Amino acid sequence: MDESNDNEIGKLLRLKRYEQPAPGYFENFLHEFHRRQRDELLREPLWKICLQRAQDFMFRLNVPALTSYPVAAAAVLVCAAIISLKIYQGPETTTNVAVQNRQTFTAPANVEGEWTLASPVATRVFTAQPIRKFNEIARTHRATTAPPRYVLDSVPVSYETAFRF
Amino acid sequence: MDQPRTDEDQQLVARTQSGEAAAFDQLVVKYTPRLYGLVYNMTSNHEDTNDLLQDVFSKAYKAIRGFRGKSSFYTWIHSIAVNMTLNFLKKRGRRYHLSLDDVDAGVQNDKEFLELTASSSPVREADLSELQKRLNEAMMKLSDEHRAVVTMFHIQGMPHAEISKILSVSEGTVRSRLFYANRQLQNYLDEFRKNPVA
Repeated sequence: MDESNDNEIGKLLRLKRYEQPAPGYFENFLHEFHRRQRDELLREPLWKICLQRAQDFMFRLNVPALTSYPVAAAAVLVCAAIISLKIYQGPETTTNVAVQNRQTFTAPANVEGEWTLASPVATRVFTAQPIRKFNEIARTHRATTAPPRYVLDSVPVSYETAFRF
Repeated sequence: MDQPRTDEDQQLVARTQSGEAAAFDQLVVKYTPRLYGLVYNMTSNHEDTNDLLQDVFSKAYKAIRGFRGKSSFYTWIHSIAVNMTLNFLKKRGRRYHLSLDDVDAGVQNDKEFLELTASSSPVREADLSELQKRLNEAMMKLSDEHRAVVTMFHIQGMPHAEISKILSVSEGTVRSRLFYANRQLQNYLDEFRKNPVA
C-alpha cells in the first residue's frame, strides 16, 4: 500500500467526473426549482404565508438593527400608557349602559303573586307592562316646534353660487 | 476544482437577503453542476440526486436570511448538501439501486484516462461501462461518511481544510477517513485489477 496506489485510485475516481446527466438537465433545473417552490407555496397554510411575508418585511426594514434596549423600553412604556388609558376610561361608560339596560328589563314585582292553583290549568298570568310605550317609541329627539328641513342628495337647497367674483 | 470567487457570492447573497430572488437564481445556476457531482457520487442515483438537490436549494433559500457570512457561501451550501445527503442515505439504508449517468465522450480525450489505458492497469482491458460499474460498486461499499470524504477529495478535488470545514470535523479526521477509505477501495479494486473482464 503505497502512495502510487493512492494516486491510481485517485485517477480512477476522477474519471467519475465524466458521468454527467442528460443534456439540458442543468438548463431545466432552475425551471424545475421555480415550479417546486410554487407548488410548495400553494400547499402552505395562509397564516404561514402571512407570517413569512411579515418576516420578509421586517427583514427589509432591518428591524433587528434598529432595535435596542432604550427603544424597546420606550415602546413598552408607550404601549403600557395606551393600555392603562383605555382601562381607566372604559368602565364608566359601560356601567351606565348596564344600569340603563337593567332598568329596561325589570319585571313587575307582583308577578310572583299571580300564580294560582285555583284555575283548572295552572298557568302564569302575564300582566307585565310593556317595557316601552308606543308613544315613546314613536317619539323622536327632534324638537317639534322647529320647521322641517329637507336635504336633497346631501346638497343644500340653494341656487346661489358658492363664489362671487 | 477551483473555489469560486467569494466576493461575487457575497454580493449575490446580500441581494438575495434584500429580497431579490433573481440573485438566488444566479447562485443556483452557478452551484448546480458542482453540487450535482457531490450528491450524485454519494448516492449513485440520478433521481435521488435530483430530488435532493432541489431540496438543498429550497432549504438554502429559506435559510439564507440567517446566513451571516461567517463561512463562505461555497462552504455553507456544500455543508447543507452533504448533511442532507448523509441524512437521506441513513434513511435509505441498503435499499438502493444504481441509476448511473452516462459517461461523457470527453473522457476519451482525458489525459489521465489515456495514461491509465496506456499503463498496465485494468482500465486497458475493461470497457468504460464496466469500469464505471466497478468504481460505483466499490464506492457504495464504503460507509456514507467515508464516501463523502472520497467524493470531495478525489472527485471534486477539494483540499483537506475545506472538507474539514464542510463536515465540521478536524483535518486529522478527514485525513484518517481518507486513508481508511483508500485502503478499502484498494481491496475492492484489487479483484478488478487481477481479473478486469470477469
